[in-house]
Amino acid sequence: MFDDPLLWARLQFALTAGIHYTFVALTLGMAALILVSQFSAVLRGDAARLAAVRFWGGLYVVNYGMGVLSGLVMELQLALNWNGLNEVFGHVVSAPLAVETVAAFFAESTFLGLWIFGWDRMNRWLHLACFGVVTLTAYLSAFWVLVSNGFLKNPVGFEMRGGVAVLTDPVALVTNPSALLAFGHVATSTLLVGGLVTAGVSAYHLRRGSDPEGMFRRGVRRGVLAASVALLPTAAAGGAQYPLLFDPPASSGTTLDAAEIERIEAAGSGLVRVLAETGNAVMALVWTVFFLVLPLALLAWPLRGLDRWRWLQWLMPVLPVLALLAGVGGWVYRELNRQPWTVRHHLTTAQAVTELSPGLALLSFVLFTGVFVVLAGITGWLLVRFARRGPAGGPLAPAPPPDSGAAVPVHSY
Amino acid sequence: MELVAVVLLVGLLAGYSVLAGCDIGLGMLSPYVARTPEERRRVVSAAAPYFLGSEVWLVAAVGVTAGLFPQIEGEVVAGQWPLFVLLLAGWLVRDAGLWLRGRVAAAAWHAVWDTAVVAGSWAVALAWGLVLAALLGGGALPLLFTPLCVAAVALLFLLRGAAFGAERLVPVAGRTGAESAEAAARATRVLARAGLVVLPVAAAAAWLDGGVRAGAPALAVAAAVTAVLAVTAGVSGPRWSRPTSAAAMAALPVLAAVGGQVSAAVADPRSLVLVAVATAPMVPVLAVGQVWLYRMVRRPAPESGFFA
Repeated sequence: MFDDPLLWARLQFALTAGIHYTFVALTLGMAALILVSQFSAVLRGDAARLAAVRFWGGLYVVNYGMGVLSGLVMELQLALNWNGLNEVFGHVVSAPLAVETVAAFFAESTFLGLWIFGWDRMNRWLHLACFGVVTLTAYLSAFWVLVSNGFLKNPVGFEMRGGVAVLTDPVALVTNPSALLAFGHVATSTLLVGGLVTAGVSAYHLRRGSDPEGMFRRGVRRGVLAASVALLPTAAAGGAQYPLLFDPPASSGTTLDAAEIERIEAAGSGLVRVLAETGNAVMALVWTVFFLVLPLALLAWPLRGLDRWRWLQWLMPVLPVLALLAGVGGWVYRELNRQPWTVRHHLTTAQAVTELSPGLALLSFVLFTGVFVVLAGITGWLLVRFARRGPAGGPLAPAPPPDSGAAVPVHSY
Repeated sequence: MELVAVVLLVGLLAGYSVLAGCDIGLGMLSPYVARTPEERRRVVSAAAPYFLGSEVWLVAAVGVTAGLFPQIEGEVVAGQWPLFVLLLAGWLVRDAGLWLRGRVAAAAWHAVWDTAVVAGSWAVALAWGLVLAALLGGGALPLLFTPLCVAAVALLFLLRGAAFGAERLVPVAGRTGAESAEAAARATRVLARAGLVVLPVAAAAAWLDGGVRAGAPALAVAAAVTAVLAVTAGVSGPRWSRPTSAAAMAALPVLAAVGGQVSAAVADPRSLVLVAVATAPMVPVLAVGQVWLYRMVRRPAPESGFFA
């Protein structure tokens, strides 16, 4: 079993995608909240609120770095390990990914650079606009990736010509319900994540009695509000996708006939089903916890419980961890449900993988998964460290005034 | 339509070579130009704003290759699997170094990530040399040409990095520490002269080696152009090395496109339309962002910042 290159390629993709998504969820959710905070700070010209933006922004940028590193591997991994998919469906699946890199990621990274280096050097409205572009392109990026992913689940808008899929209807590809609903679910659930991270970190500091200029009092409220707003839409956009899981795609039967499809699906492994259902259960369970806790937090708000109730302040920092777990669970469910297909009813996962020797597949797995685990561990540790340290000494904290210790007299006569 | 797609891809790769040559080359050179902890910090501080803006060109190029040239992707990327794994590993290690170095104030932490930046920069440059050799050699790595091609590409990266360092490592007015900038400025001359020797030899090897198709006269032309550019950089030192090294780096993807033995079968028209329609509205935003970012970081690197 372990000398099967397909297994290593699949495990590598699953683990790297799971790690990648965890950081992506944080990036998306926090971007929206930071944008609102910075808008409010700039509008009021309030230095205290801007200091808070620097704190949350510092966490955002540390997290973004890991998102980029893992995203690079995701993109090249598709080319290196999944050549069979590219040969047959490259024209269709990769076109949205091309748009993602050029139209979204390119702008996101450039404007994040401007935002990082533009503190104190740029007009504050322009600086805010830079983060506006970062937020917008982060969501745009998620959209195009999900267009590609949604096609795998519900292939639309293409024709098979000589064994190669050709895009015939770009509009159908972009308006694929499998992509749009997934985007709605990702956009709302990451807002839930962002809200819970903001509320959790703020509650941690409030419990320890640290609240410089009221930033964590504002943070816990903003976080609880964002998470509560996102709670029901998350479930709605998620639940609306269940029918799509089991209905055959409209293009079913154009590549393989019904008997072949049935034979391939019958050969699926039972372990995959168990794992998929576990992912689904984790996701549903975590959502239920939020459904019980968030109304309590909303109730505590007018009673000033968010600032005073210790048990709530102990509970809140646990919630973002649960939310990230649920995100991974959701992806496990979505992707494993597609098995044994890579493109449902058209291309099996075994056909999609590059023909690698077992040694090379294992090398690739050890190298990239190993590096990922180490880097994700370090980034996670840094995030917790900076979150606990508070606004002073954060990654984006203002530079200390130039030290005079090392200065040498300019003139020596 | 096919020409537009090819020009877009070569343009993205040329942008990457020119811009990333700066920060990758400086990363490769940093053991030479930065000897003290303070100098090493300034090297990372100088390179960091560039890598954020430069690697996106390569990401976009990979995306465009996958979306518009699925055959190239299959042939080149999957066909040269070990080379691209080396490239990706170097890229990952180098970026990790740049992102993580400034996060903890401890000498051992800095040493680990400085090493990662240097090793990753070398791995990326050498991997590009190997990829170019494989492209020109038609999939195989020619015995004689390959080491010379790798050496030539590494030299051009180093020259670009030295030219960049000679400007960007100059201390902010009133501060000490010009040694790194001077070391980089001295290196431009040495590297340009070394390039002057290696590039013609590599071009000659391409003719001698049976593996490289001699029917690509473009190869010799491009090599000659690169050599001439190297001369101007070598004669006048760091002063002209910035634009000339940029032109030399930009010649590399052009060389690969002209002399490379890949069939540029472009994706079908509808895929092209989708990519064109979806990206066109963003192009002005991208242009403004890139120009703005590079204008902002044109000045000598500040004393401290996010990355170092």
